[in-house]
Amino acid sequence: METFYTESPQVQQIIQGLNLTRTLFVSSIIIGEPHTGKKTLVTHLFPDIPVVSGESQEEVEILLEQSDELIITDFEKLSNKEGLLFDNKRIIATANYVGNQKIIDSLFAFIYMMPSYKERPEDLKTMKTHFLEEAAATLMLDASLYSLDQLPTDLTHNSKSLKRAIYHYLMRHSMSTEEIEETLHTYFLEYLEGNNGYKEHIGMYERPLIKAGLEKYGSQLKLSEVLGINRNTLRKKIHEHNID
Amino acid sequence: MNTTSIDFRPFVEWDNNPFILFDPKGKILYLNNSAEILLGYVSKKELFDLALAYAPQSFGYKTTSLSLRYEAFNFYSITVGYENEEQLAIRFYNAPRLRNHIPVEKEKLTLTDINLLLEANIALFKTKNSNPLQLLTDPDMPQLKIDQNRFSKLLRKVLESFRASDSIRIELKLLVGEHVIIDDQKISIAQLSTMANGRYVDNDKEIKTLSEECNIRSNLQESSIKLEIPLIT
Repeated sequence: METFYTESPQVQQIIQGLNLTRTLFVSSIIIGEPHTGKKTLVTHLFPDIPVVSGESQEEVEILLEQSDELIITDFEKLSNKEGLLFDNKRIIATANYVGNQKIIDSLFAFIYMMPSYKERPEDLKTMKTHFLEEAAATLMLDASLYSLDQLPTDLTHNSKSLKRAIYHYLMRHSMSTEEIEETLHTYFLEYLEGNNGYKEHIGMYERPLIKAGLEKYGSQLKLSEVLGINRNTLRKKIHEHNID
Repeated sequence: MNTTSIDFRPFVEWDNNPFILFDPKGKILYLNNSAEILLGYVSKKELFDLALAYAPQSFGYKTTSLSLRYEAFNFYSITVGYENEEQLAIRFYNAPRLRNHIPVEKEKLTLTDINLLLEANIALFKTKNSNPLQLLTDPDMPQLKIDQNRFSKLLRKVLESFRASDSIRIELKLLVGEHVIIDDQKISIAQLSTMANGRYVDNDKEIKTLSEECNIRSNLQESSIKLEIPLIT
């Protein structure tokens, strides 16, 4: 059974509505951006109801005839929505967008709008903790070494981009010297070519080195001491790599 | 024919058209069953003023055609009359109700706790609106047979009409003493009233259609929507 976490009052109202109608023969739909947890929520609340994707009109129609309760995901993908018969059935659908408002309005009694993660900041902490624990377990890392504040918050594609950003962050921050070298090795194997390769690729080492150094030590004077190079050389390299 | 020995009172008492007898000060001397229900919707004073306004100039009876509406009551005419200085009578004529042509298909209806549907619809409404909402319901309301999906759509449309209203008040109660005849059966009525300081009317047409499809009588006013739901069991 999938689990679903939320502290958003709006999502809690959706859960309340779905729970109240779980014994009734009504049709409900949850509409919201992709990766906002619609399918997870529905399958969590109704683990025993068969699930079908709207990608196949035929399959949906067959299951509608066989069963009096059905979960239809990707409802927007159905080619012929008007022809569906929901009378005296328990239908729970999810859709990434409304599409034809009139059809949705006439087919469904309960139309819920799932807020995106941008609209429910109260869920961010829970989601970040969840993904941190998941990523740490997958990558075999110690989750307690990372704080939630450090983790990136990429919500461009809701939970999908958030999850991806957290996995990447953990991978980047847990790499050993050998792994960094291995990564560069793979990269050079693929991209090294032409007749100016050294100059073209040395920036991959120098740019992060100087940027991080400046961030860590504050002044060019101090950094040139730490790097053991002349201040003028450092200034030249900052200019060369367009570092602010 | 000598009619002095016939007691006409039961005929008046059980007449579906409201009948009220006032004294000169507006006190009610007698009212029939139907008038008793009417007084649940309109004040005694208003009806007395109406009787005075439409009374004949001297002893006798006067019938006036007019269109009167008190919530669910619709009258097309009234008769006001008096035979002495002590009693003034008013009789209201019910306008014929439009007959509902949609048959009740009981086998397609599901026994439902109406409070559950109401709560679920309020939860849905609250996902989109933060208006203060007060619900007064009768927890002992008996279950009724209804098309759950269609009735939920109706409730959604009703609540949506109040999407920008302040302090919405929803009341569900049994209309004591009122019945509707469906398939030769006397059926009790529950009234669901939604009231606020104002409302949108863009859903009215759909509300009327959905109500008819659910065998519900709808009464749409400027700031309220009342649904009379037959308690089909």
